[in-house]
Amino acid sequence: MRIKSIKRKQKVKLTVNGKEIIAYKCETVLSALIASGYKALKTNPASQEPRGALCGMGVCFECTVTINGIPNTRACMTEVQDGMVIETNDQG
Amino acid sequence: MIKDKTKYNIIIIGSGFSGISAAEILSDHDLSLLLLDENIHFGGQLLRRIPEEWEESSFSEPEKIKRIGYDFINKVKSKKITLMNKTILLGVYENSEILIEYNKEKTLTLKYDVLVFATGARERFLPFKGWTLPGVYSTGMLQVLIKSSGVLPAKKMLMAGSGLFLFASAYEFLKHGGELIGIMEQSPLWNKIKFFPQIFYQLPKFMEGGKYLSKILLSKTSVKYQRHIKEARGKNYVEEVVVGKIDKNGKWIDGTEKTFHTKALVVGYGFVPNIEAPQLAGCQLEYSLEKGGWIVQVNDRMETSIDSILAAGEITGIGGAPKSMNEGKIAAQTILEKFDIENKRKQATPLKKLIKERKHHMSFVKCFNSLYRIKPETILGIPDDTIICRCENIDMQRIKKAVQMGCYNPNSLKISTRCTMGQCQGRTCAPVIYDILQVLCHKDPEDIGLFSIRPPFKPVSIKALKNIHGS
Repeated sequence: MRIKSIKRKQKVKLTVNGKEIIAYKCETVLSALIASGYKALKTNPASQEPRGALCGMGVCFECTVTINGIPNTRACMTEVQDGMVIETNDQG
Repeated sequence: MIKDKTKYNIIIIGSGFSGISAAEILSDHDLSLLLLDENIHFGGQLLRRIPEEWEESSFSEPEKIKRIGYDFINKVKSKKITLMNKTILLGVYENSEILIEYNKEKTLTLKYDVLVFATGARERFLPFKGWTLPGVYSTGMLQVLIKSSGVLPAKKMLMAGSGLFLFASAYEFLKHGGELIGIMEQSPLWNKIKFFPQIFYQLPKFMEGGKYLSKILLSKTSVKYQRHIKEARGKNYVEEVVVGKIDKNGKWIDGTEKTFHTKALVVGYGFVPNIEAPQLAGCQLEYSLEKGGWIVQVNDRMETSIDSILAAGEITGIGGAPKSMNEGKIAAQTILEKFDIENKRKQATPLKKLIKERKHHMSFVKCFNSLYRIKPETILGIPDDTIICRCENIDMQRIKKAVQMGCYNPNSLKISTRCTMGQCQGRTCAPVIYDILQVLCHKDPEDIGLFSIRPPFKPVSIKALKNIHGS
């Protein structure tokens, strides 16, 4: 959910699992995903259970997604760019 | 483009309050200086802010200490120093060299005369059943989402944990239109009275606390003390949270459970110093509960046990921005003396005075960290089927079994269970594993020791490693 009182500037388009979402320049991939309602971002390889971001600041590696073909990229440490292609790795 | 093996007079790791405070002074002098940070923006966690090109009306004028910080960032950016953001420290070596990764797939070896660790702190976690469900976020993540991107994780949610930061995060959430189902504080209310002798030196902190509390009380949010999360439940993400009472020793009181329906749960239990890099460098560490756990040992000039390596900020004791700023300044003065350069600023605070000021900060550190410690009974009460190491999916039962089999130290526990061997390299679970080993083995932290650290200590692509030394 984006805070309404903020006037954001440039819109960008991202493709998440084949679906287009709108984000704003300067947001991180994680904040764009959360604002669009994505919670589960990966599947834990040991338990096969869904996982989502925990720390939001590069520590926990629970928000790693595939960005423009590069796997294991921390969504919280990456800024959005127009045309970015994101694949979450959850099975849900 | 920086060449491999470039030598700098000073390399500062981390651009949070301590790093930026040291850089701000040093950048005025004739020294080659590199300031690097893993994050997108300089300034660390506290100085995160809404992008300057956005217009915002619900964010009020920042408090004085933040204004000083923003001023430092702007100053440093205008100076002739090397700034590297999105840069990850991968290793520290004996021959005054560090290995870094930047631009995602490139590595560089750099040399230094003096190295300053200003690596800050991360959040402390207390595992409960279901804390691996999506929709469980940390207080830090809540703050980052709000402060850097203007996003709330949910319109309505529950918060739980312990410490001043929990209330600071609740304040930010409420201020921006969020609704709180409740705040479940782990520690007892009467505990806070211990804070009062600090009022003289920590007035701004008291004012801040008052501001948070009044906002929370005005919102009619229910604040409960001595509460602990029993379980978070849901199919693919959090749907409900069970909370119950604990006694003054942190022991679970049966029959006190209450279930809350919520789409998000935000938890926070204070902070842990990021000591991995100094540990790898061989700096002497010490365990001090009062200072926030394992910290880097420094003298009053911020020098570590290793020649030419200094440490400043949260890694010498969890204490917040004013302490970090003070230590960054001390580190800068110490370095100027090392290079036999006079501080160009005529009004600069003398080193002696800064060292004296630091004593007051340290007394706050001691009071603050002893207030919110997690009780041994709470650690013992972690149910067997609770995941401890999230990456490798290791639960409490497996840890208990390994300890019964004789794994009394972190490294044998690691070999036996794979705990801390996942992507986060133990940054999330190691602090709680130290606590678990302490209570299960009835041993002191120094006897238990630390997980060993090896480079590269953050995940790095093979492609980047392939480029080391241009090979």
